[in-house]
Amino acid sequence: MTATSGPGWALMIETVQYALMTETPIVVALVQRLGPSTGGATQGAQGDIWLAEFSTSGGYTLPVFSPSNAAESYELAIHAFNWAERLRTPVILLSDKEVGMTSEVVNDEALQIPDLVNRKRATATADYAPYAVQEPETVPGFAAVGEEIKTTVTGSAHDPQGRLRKNSPQVINVLQRLQRKIEAHAEEMALVRPDLDPDARCLLISYGVTARAARQAVEILRGEGLRVSFLQIQSLFPIPKKWLDWATAGVDMVFVAEENLTGQYRAALTPYLSGKRIFGINQIGHLISPSHIARAVEGLMA
Amino acid sequence: MTTEALYLSPTAKLPYCRGCGHSLVVRQLSNALERLGLPPRSVVLTTDIGCVGLADSLFPYLHTVHTTHGRSTAFATGMALADVAMERQGLKPIVMIGDGGAMIGLLHLVHAAQLNVDITVLLHNNFMFGMTGGQHSALSPLNWVTATTPDGNSIPPLDILALLRTAHATFLARQFATSPELATTIADAINYPGFSVVEIVELCTAYGTRWNQATGASLKEIADRQGYAIGELETEIERPTFRDLYRHEQNVRKPKRAKPPVPRLNTTAQLTNEVRVVLAGTAGERVQSAAALLCRAALSAGLYSTQKNDNPVTQGSGFSLSEICLSPKPIDYTGMECPDVVLAVSDEGWKELQANGTVAACREETLLFVDSQIEAHPPMGCVVPLPLRREANPKRAALAAIAAWLENNPLLPPEAWDAALAADPAERRAESLAALEVGRRLGGGCVKSS
Repeated sequence: MTATSGPGWALMIETVQYALMTETPIVVALVQRLGPSTGGATQGAQGDIWLAEFSTSGGYTLPVFSPSNAAESYELAIHAFNWAERLRTPVILLSDKEVGMTSEVVNDEALQIPDLVNRKRATATADYAPYAVQEPETVPGFAAVGEEIKTTVTGSAHDPQGRLRKNSPQVINVLQRLQRKIEAHAEEMALVRPDLDPDARCLLISYGVTARAARQAVEILRGEGLRVSFLQIQSLFPIPKKWLDWATAGVDMVFVAEENLTGQYRAALTPYLSGKRIFGINQIGHLISPSHIARAVEGLMA
Repeated sequence: MTTEALYLSPTAKLPYCRGCGHSLVVRQLSNALERLGLPPRSVVLTTDIGCVGLADSLFPYLHTVHTTHGRSTAFATGMALADVAMERQGLKPIVMIGDGGAMIGLLHLVHAAQLNVDITVLLHNNFMFGMTGGQHSALSPLNWVTATTPDGNSIPPLDILALLRTAHATFLARQFATSPELATTIADAINYPGFSVVEIVELCTAYGTRWNQATGASLKEIADRQGYAIGELETEIERPTFRDLYRHEQNVRKPKRAKPPVPRLNTTAQLTNEVRVVLAGTAGERVQSAAALLCRAALSAGLYSTQKNDNPVTQGSGFSLSEICLSPKPIDYTGMECPDVVLAVSDEGWKELQANGTVAACREETLLFVDSQIEAHPPMGCVVPLPLRREANPKRAALAAIAAWLENNPLLPPEAWDAALAADPAERRAESLAALEVGRRLGGGCVKSS
């Protein structure tokens, strides 16, 4: 595991892709700060959604978990490790300055701690191949450098034996499997915190630190008699499609609150929200406040 | 199976161009490994990008890691570190990298040399990037013709061994790919317990010999022109390897004393709604630590808290600020839309509160406890000037300000401070208690009277 912010992440993308290609389990905590470039060293932001998720050549899905507070940082870090181990893939813990650097009281008795999962080990067989799987498995067993099984690690396009081959169907098959193993577990990876009102016609979606303000905004709106549903998404990618379908059933309007200029996660969700009217609540430079979100929702509902 | 078949098969078909030095290096590496009799599974061949990166497939029994461009040394360093930290003590990473990769990943070579990790770098210097079309590198000699220096290179080349010497590398060698000594030099390098590098001078027969008047026989002349010594170079005295240093530090490291948890009181805080406090002062005057103490006291009395700190880019000068929320239930939004209480203990702190919008956000009910020396005229709120710096001294003014406020809003039981201070050394605890006492005295009844 390593931790960084946007400028450091930019330097790490080469190696993150290498981890993806070599199926090396790693977790990177990307603690977002105000960009672009070196930006504001002590200012928060949620501006690295695309930079995190869309950082691989080929557009492979990197699992991204986004905590909104210290307790979730703890819980989601364990989930991130579990999925990195289980799928042998890089996983991103997408935090931000406000979540990462705020001291807060955590009720340890209320923590929801998942069981630990370790990578499956390879067994030394005569026909062992480092990147081969037995269908319907999608993840090959792991062999460590220095142990009895001869390892062949390469970041270049390779066949199940780890050999560089140009355009061979076996190589393409390995490349497809790298994506298939993520998609095959997408539903299992989904983590959301819903607070739905069955009669609401509008749904507020948020994640990370802004989910805290959004939760409070929902209280304000409900206090004023408005029917509003709320969905905090913790597993940003793969996009939790089933939860999204469930939360948007009967909803006409969807609001996505996030601390960036262009609505990065809103854009990622939009293909899965067909037929809904979608609005962004965005701001940079400061935490988005509950009253800002509440006013925006009221204004758009009117 | 013959011994040699454990490394490079005698019948292996080498993929390199006719006359390329890489073929010689691969064979001499195999000879060196055979001479040392290293078990194949104790070696990890770590290859860079370029034609050198084809070497891994030639050694079917070694662990092989083919890496990103220039980073092979970093990967090898990582594996060597893991071998030490996991107490495996047996893995020998061998890096095969070109002069182009060495230029891209120069920092990794420097770092590996400094750490003195047990890796061997075989640096194939053919004076250019070969596989990518014959571009110049930082190691191209003067006047060397490449795709990117068609009139000859005019930038003086880097003497990589001289550079790594300054990074405290203790095994440095240079050989020609054609040298009968090469296998011996490689074996010596592998046998060396710390960082070792062998610069192998050779020619790219696809581009180097096509564009320059150079043959295997002229390698010595090229090396002489650059003043490059050949063979195993003399280095500074032996120094500890990373493995030695790691073991030593493991033995002398003192266990870290964890701060004990804050004791929980039977009495609870008198707080029904969230309260938001901004504390501002000057860096180095214990502003943020006073805020942390308040949060620990609140925790002992069963409250939730959040604390956000701010300071300029520098840590030890300028303003220092903490925003604190206290609440009987878990806290969502941590910002300060409108603070309930503002505590300003220095002019620098007050100016920051003006600059960041805190002063403008004050409401009529906001209480502002400020040091008497500050000219504080917020548009709204009740200002209480107190001689905090003079009476409590600047380093304890923040804690005194907190006590002055709490004297007017006694939401914490007095024992909460004892609980918060329980883990502090006696002298520090006495100072803090004195500051709290000053604050209580100054704060007593001041809101009603003002």
